[in-house]
Amino acid sequence: MQIVIPPDLVFVLLAAVTLIAAVLALQAKELIYGAIALGISFIGIAGFFVFLDAPYLAMLQIAVYVGAVVVLILFTIMLVRREQSDELLDRPEGGQGAVGLWLAGLLAVAIAGVAALAGPNLPAAPPAGNLPVSSLGLVLAAEYPIPLVILALLISAALLGALVLAKVEK
Amino acid sequence: MTLVTAFLTWYERKIIARIQLRIGPLYAGGPGGILQPIADGVKLIFKEVMIPYKADKPLFLAIPLALVVMAALPFAVIPFGQNWVITNLDVGLVFVFAMISLFPMMILIFAWASNSKYPFLGGLRSLFQQVAYEIPMWISALSIVMLAGSLSLVDIVNAQARIWFIIPAFLSFIVFFISIMAELERLPFDLPTAEPELVAGWFTESSGAIFMLQFLALYMKMYLMSSLVTVLFLGGWWGPAFLPQPVWFMIKTLIVATFIIIPRAVFARIRVDMLIRIGWTRLLIVALANVFLTVLLITSGLTTTLGI
Repeated sequence: MQIVIPPDLVFVLLAAVTLIAAVLALQAKELIYGAIALGISFIGIAGFFVFLDAPYLAMLQIAVYVGAVVVLILFTIMLVRREQSDELLDRPEGGQGAVGLWLAGLLAVAIAGVAALAGPNLPAAPPAGNLPVSSLGLVLAAEYPIPLVILALLISAALLGALVLAKVEK
Repeated sequence: MTLVTAFLTWYERKIIARIQLRIGPLYAGGPGGILQPIADGVKLIFKEVMIPYKADKPLFLAIPLALVVMAALPFAVIPFGQNWVITNLDVGLVFVFAMISLFPMMILIFAWASNSKYPFLGGLRSLFQQVAYEIPMWISALSIVMLAGSLSLVDIVNAQARIWFIIPAFLSFIVFFISIMAELERLPFDLPTAEPELVAGWFTESSGAIFMLQFLALYMKMYLMSSLVTVLFLGGWWGPAFLPQPVWFMIKTLIVATFIIIPRAVFARIRVDMLIRIGWTRLLIVALANVFLTVLLITSGLTTTLGI
């Protein structure tokens, strides 16, 4: 017997994990816990990518964001001394929270409005099922070659720059 | 899988003992003391778990378990035979690398949670070492992906039916092997656990079952890396038909594991600056040059004459 899990339930659970982890990342008393919560939130976003039939993006999300970005954040926290870490954390002042809520509400209204206006005219969803990774590569290489080359140049330049900066003057 | 991993610890002790003209574990029963890992496991389970003063208790207890899970998950996509794979993921190789890239973060969090100087230094060393050597590892695996034309590990092995990728991509094999030695923190790259400087590195404070879980995760990762080398370079399950496919896979994996173990008894530990210089100025450039070579190999049509 196969247990069928409704996709809506998966979506709600993923959204709950992602959002709760994101809030925890901001509210954590200890910076380390904040970084870990951020990592969990990123994994939740990777779950969304799997949910949307984009496993390649999901894996890269884990490898790059959890494996590299969170590690860099942790590294920075470790290099700051522990007694200083309390001072770095400042709670939002009274006005800031209200402004944030207002902005979030405005954004939600805007998105809902756009969705309501454009909803019937949106193109139909692509057929479900796992797209092979090679199709992603084909789209990138065939339809967007120039941005791809520019990005590659940028990354190479950053790599060379890091090597030059790290080189010890003799 | 846990049994295989436990067996690896016995195998390592035996090999190193032989190189150092000793006999190694002998008295735990079975031929050559093969039951030694079980005795070790029972001993470690019954030992008291000591948690350091002011340590971060939930993290200290949770991370070793998470390490084991992270080391065990990639085996879901490793093909042991033509039909001996749990799931043929379209992006299997990236999945394995993504799970491996979670290790340094876990180790650093555990080191921090121990609230002690030596684990902390070991954790920082482990972090920069693993993050630095991940890059040549990814780039050297890239040429394999270009040769096979797929990220799925099953397809990669299928592409090696005629010729193993170690022959057209030998440079890539060298870079990959050195990188995984550094990723696994094996000698000569075991700076994060350097005994004379850091007691036992990032697991100095762990004891009992916690230590057992970490040890299990480390050896499982070693087994994972050996099977990854087998899949990417040594033709996976392919071999003459008188033995079943999974047996060929196990034999190849064991040979790779032997070559990972032997340097521990042969080489001395390298310095931190040497480690960084090898990683960023030698391996990275060789790996990038190798990608260029592979592109030449593919465009020149040599690969089609080789039958890939």
